[in-house]
Amino acid sequence: MKKNVNTYDAIVIGAGMAGGWAAKEFSEQGLNTLLLERGPNVVHIEDYPTTNMQPWEFKHRGRLTQQEIKENPIISRCYAFREDAKHFFVKDKEHPYQQIKPFDWIRGYQVGGKSIMWARQVQRWSPYDFEGPARDGYAVDWPIGYEDLASWYTYVERFVGVSGNKDGLDTLPDGEFLKPWESNIVEEYFSQQIRKHYNDRHVIYGRCAHLTENKPIFVKQGRGLCMSRRICQRGCPLGGYFNANSTLIPWALSTGKMTLKPNSVVHSIIYDDEKQKATGVRVINANTKEYVEYFANVIFVNAATLNTNLILLNSKSKRFPNGLGNDNGLLGKYIAFHNYRATIKAEFEGYPQYTTEGAKPTSHYIPRFRNIYNQETDFLRGYAAGFVARPVRETIREGYGDVLFDNLLKTKETGLWRVSSHMMGETIPKKTNHVFLDHNLKDQWGIPQLNIDVDYDDNDEKMILDFFEQFSEMYSKAGFVNIKTNDDRRRPGNDIHEMGGVRMGKDPKTSLLNKWNQMHNCKNVFVTDGACMTSTSTQNPSLTFMAISARAANYAVDQLKKRNL
Amino acid sequence: MKRRSAIKHIGVATGGLIILPYACAEREVALFSNLQNVKNNEKLLIGSLSNYILPEDPVNFSTPEPRQQFVLTMINDCSNESEIDLFTRGLNAFQEDIRSKKNKHFLALNAPEQEEMIKLYFESKSLINDFLGLIKKYSLLHFETSENYLTTYLKYEFMPGRYLGQISIT
Repeated sequence: MKKNVNTYDAIVIGAGMAGGWAAKEFSEQGLNTLLLERGPNVVHIEDYPTTNMQPWEFKHRGRLTQQEIKENPIISRCYAFREDAKHFFVKDKEHPYQQIKPFDWIRGYQVGGKSIMWARQVQRWSPYDFEGPARDGYAVDWPIGYEDLASWYTYVERFVGVSGNKDGLDTLPDGEFLKPWESNIVEEYFSQQIRKHYNDRHVIYGRCAHLTENKPIFVKQGRGLCMSRRICQRGCPLGGYFNANSTLIPWALSTGKMTLKPNSVVHSIIYDDEKQKATGVRVINANTKEYVEYFANVIFVNAATLNTNLILLNSKSKRFPNGLGNDNGLLGKYIAFHNYRATIKAEFEGYPQYTTEGAKPTSHYIPRFRNIYNQETDFLRGYAAGFVARPVRETIREGYGDVLFDNLLKTKETGLWRVSSHMMGETIPKKTNHVFLDHNLKDQWGIPQLNIDVDYDDNDEKMILDFFEQFSEMYSKAGFVNIKTNDDRRRPGNDIHEMGGVRMGKDPKTSLLNKWNQMHNCKNVFVTDGACMTSTSTQNPSLTFMAISARAANYAVDQLKKRNL
Repeated sequence: MKRRSAIKHIGVATGGLIILPYACAEREVALFSNLQNVKNNEKLLIGSLSNYILPEDPVNFSTPEPRQQFVLTMINDCSNESEIDLFTRGLNAFQEDIRSKKNKHFLALNAPEQEEMIKLYFESKSLINDFLGLIKKYSLLHFETSENYLTTYLKYEFMPGRYLGQISIT
């Protein structure tokens, strides 16, 4: 009886961006779907407690307390862990893990996951990105190419809403774009300068998941235009940017086919040796710590990259003593991320007569230009970069008393511009960058903690030097002055773009998932979050996770209809 | 200017108990766990010093909490151990130095004497200078995040709904 009650057509583990897409596709197509989330529910608008707070209403004006920093040394290093959005981040002590090498694991355990606080930058991969491992001989060949994903990018973009320009670049394919925000005068100037001095480099508008035009699909979702508040990490009551809470979750719930169960910590996936397939999941109630099992014909694991690895490693059976589908021993290996250590900043004295008004939730973007067509450097692959130009407002804070008071009231535009770029480097997946279970240390639900052994390598160091050299030259050619570079030596993971461990590939001997994100050795289990990534390229990865999830979910529905799962 | 000076001197004359719209809130007991050795009259001194360094103008630059409460809250909650150490040592040094030079409490000095001492401290490189600098830092934060300052002087808009990238300053 209980088994019948707890049986669904599909189970999705993780109610973030990737899991949300899978759940939406399943429920839309009539599958009884169970969406499990280890954290509490976050209902769109209702559960954004700080969303309409003004800066002066925060007790510490946005700052963290020393106690919070002391208790949370890891998460405190995340740029978005501030007074206004701290409630959406996992605190260090609540969910410990072991760092074999320093690694900042930034997590958001709630319905919506990190999609509430994400940076909203969305770029498609290009054919050159998928071809990387095969051409350059690292990781393993991707089993899919751009042509396999292009229509799914379109599908996702139309639902999510992406503001962008049609740039016509082969290195960063165009998508289904809503109109962009205006560029400022220095962004335009730098773009022109780079075009003038380089054939292979482009400064373009940063494509972002914000609504700049209304369309019936967004009205149907109940979302409104982005009002450029730039406090997206708190959750947007207008639905101006995309998160799972404002779109995917309510959309899936509205079908009447999806059951959402927050506070459900997945312990492991149940594998039936006789049926030779996964039959369900073991779940621990986060609050009562009671065990319950749910059953389904197909299971999507979208717990976010490293937790997906953890769940699969912890899913042991007679058939899979080393973790589900892990015949080749590669589960948890070839973890990679993005190298965000390098930044450059400068000043520009041109256009002193101009300033900006209002705000926009994105900046400009420089797609990868290194090693696109040929290997041209002493490091593999390359980097993309952001570009920000802002007018400088000067406030004199000298003196005290009435002098200081009067100085503050004389704040004014200076005519000077500050410009900056940050590197987004591809890292090379390596077997030695891996995660594995610690059977001696368990979390409060009795689940083994994760050991994380991930680090930079020489390729990353060389790439940083090249970024400094190339961008110093680009900035100089544009006439920028007072150029300063900085390597903040941030830890891996702080980029919040960890990927891999359950990689896709053509060969079951060297990969865990096939071209449809099915486990080679357990066909009714799919992984479509960052864990599936074979390589990382340079683009912000969320759009690709979503496209992969939608594609795989539709394939799974098709296979279920054909009774192949 | 005169109005601000008047507010300031009232504050000083009343020993820091500035009569402000939120004076009642100020009387509420505030627990500062990291400042347990700081006496109540010293907390009032901090409020007065903050007001001296950057005159408070609750009429034109209103804030949800009075300056004294904000500065003490930030020092207590957001300062690291070395800053709190600097604050407590600086507070003691400030009081001792005033006593040794003037044989009075700072709040008992007349306006020119207060000005003389504050000027002296701001022009010197010393523990007291650093102590006053910490109070100044949070006084500035309090003032610069007031609604009027943000909206009128820093052009803050909660929901601009637009971005114009090429506005002529002239």
